[in-house]
Amino acid sequence: MSTDVMIYANGLSKRYGSFRALDDVSFEVRRGEVVGFLGPNGAGKSTTMRILTCFIAPTSGTAKVRGQDVFDDTLAVRSSLGYLPQRAPLYLEMTVYEYLRFAAKVRNIDDSLFKQRARNVVEVCGLAQSLSKEIRQLSHGYRQRVGLAQALIHDPPILILDEPTSDLDPNEKAEFLNYLKQIGKDRTVLLSTHNLKEVESACARAIIVSRGRVVADGALDEIRAKSGRVRYIVSVQESIGASAYRGTGAPPKQSDVERALSGLKGVKKVAELPTDDRAHQYAIDGDDGDDIRADIFRMVSDKGWVLLELHRDTQTLEDVFRQLTIGDERRNRQLGPVAETSNASDEDDSDDEDEDDDSDDEETAPIESKRGKR
Amino acid sequence: MNSETIEKDSKKKLLAAGQAAEAAREAGHDEDSEESHESSAEPMTSASHGEKAILHRPSSASMVWTLAQREIQANLNSAITYIVIAASLVVVGLYFFFYKGGFWQVDRASMARMFDSIPFALCFLTVPLFTMRSLADEKRVGTIELLITMPVKDSEVILGKFIGSLAMVALQIALLAAYPIVMFSRAPFWHLGELDWSPFWVGMLGLLLLSMAGTAIGVMWSSFTESQILSYFATMLTLVALYAIGSVSIVEFLQGWPGDAISFVSLQSRFEPFARGLIDSRAVIYFLSLTTLGLVVAFRSLESRKWS
Repeated sequence: MSTDVMIYANGLSKRYGSFRALDDVSFEVRRGEVVGFLGPNGAGKSTTMRILTCFIAPTSGTAKVRGQDVFDDTLAVRSSLGYLPQRAPLYLEMTVYEYLRFAAKVRNIDDSLFKQRARNVVEVCGLAQSLSKEIRQLSHGYRQRVGLAQALIHDPPILILDEPTSDLDPNEKAEFLNYLKQIGKDRTVLLSTHNLKEVESACARAIIVSRGRVVADGALDEIRAKSGRVRYIVSVQESIGASAYRGTGAPPKQSDVERALSGLKGVKKVAELPTDDRAHQYAIDGDDGDDIRADIFRMVSDKGWVLLELHRDTQTLEDVFRQLTIGDERRNRQLGPVAETSNASDEDDSDDEDEDDDSDDEETAPIESKRGKR
Repeated sequence: MNSETIEKDSKKKLLAAGQAAEAAREAGHDEDSEESHESSAEPMTSASHGEKAILHRPSSASMVWTLAQREIQANLNSAITYIVIAASLVVVGLYFFFYKGGFWQVDRASMARMFDSIPFALCFLTVPLFTMRSLADEKRVGTIELLITMPVKDSEVILGKFIGSLAMVALQIALLAAYPIVMFSRAPFWHLGELDWSPFWVGMLGLLLLSMAGTAIGVMWSSFTESQILSYFATMLTLVALYAIGSVSIVEFLQGWPGDAISFVSLQSRFEPFARGLIDSRAVIYFLSLTTLGLVVAFRSLESRKWS
């Protein structure tokens, strides 16, 4: 392990009774990285962060912050961290100033240094107007700012932020992200969020967790490319509208088009999208490697149909996120016993996804193997 | 990982030198010179990478005091504190002066009667009310997470909470000293005669010891639950039970060794010598052990969050 690794997690597991909140989570965060920690609700983001901040202990596995074990050197770990828990739980009866003063005292910051830091932090977090207000009077957005200020007051080399933007309005979010870029230059930041736009604008790297496991870990581009698929949107005219039908013969039936599209080489999956009755619209999943737009056009024109729309979507982070974590949501909507592969913990991630959707199997292959191929 | 570390050991020194320069630069422009000295010295000992240097922690005593201070401030900020103190003063005052003839019936310049009622009032009202918030509320609101992820030891949290709550109970007890001062000191007050002050102060000491034990038990119950109400009732029932089993009629009814056993653990029989002006060393040890027990259990309970 090089000295540059600021956060190191190896095989972290956490059980609450029979519920497995974390299952063999491993990752590293290096100095100066801003890493987005993504996952649906209940995927284990907060649990991981709580382990890293020494609030709870893992059932098994080790975690180190700045080379110090979270279990054995907990005070050293905690003093080099700035942590903002979810929903920023603060002492409501204190004023903002009192709270910051309290945090500084606990961190052993003397008065003169505190004044200096407080000025800095207040400016950064936009708290100048609310310093003398009681925290209970503040809106959630402002409480979150205070939470952030508290995490920065000792100028920590590592920041762990659990959904820092959840209560901010769009302007505040934008400002916060700008700020994050600034502090990310000389600090290590691990930030959890559901908001993929934020990750795209602030982080160079993301770790996606789902059901307590890391399902993707890598630079954003790698994650985007991870599914290895491209989506095409195709619309074919179905009935004669206001303008004359320019195709040859009768307009096609929905099943004809679908069959024809499925027959093309390189097409993996065809799904109809909802449209009005003038057109059929399909989303086609294809391979990353070859472009089948030409084939689609040729096929449609050979049949004498009218092609209204054809475009190629590269994967957004959002798509990948959905594909990787969709099982979670399905599980929530399914009553009765769920086929659980929790005993297959030693096997590859992909086994876990198989039962949810057969076509999803490659997506969950670890990113490392993809890296090797390219 | 280990083999890598060994391989890179020579590289590490180079890196360390680079880090030293970087750290010094970093520290130079936004921190005072003392810290820059500290952090530039740190990477030289690459084995204990920043072990000492980054431990920005005050001494345990001042940490506990910081936490206790926060607790006291929070209590002084809340209306409940004033209501509790005022209500107990009124109730205890009424009992002292008027219940069944009260103080006047005794016909002596003695405050002994005061120590009949106050321990019960402490057990029933003051101690449970001042301890119910301590950990339960932090757990309910979630502030405990922020507190504990600061570089604070669990034991310091418990001690801080204990001292914070005890300070409020002690404030209440100290206000009771107003009675004898108003009654027996010279002008401009009543001046009912000469009071033998020593037994009074011994009684106050007894009250303080009793409150320590009670507060520790209160903090303990508060560490078990997220609900203040639950914490209040659990503490109140525990203390009132410990107090009431020592009442003369129960002890006499049981006779023999069961009676002795009960009076051994009862707060009431343990407090009784203090009310008469005796400092009973066995009672002192009893109260202190009870305090320690409560705090240790609370500490374990706080620690148990890690495993649950």
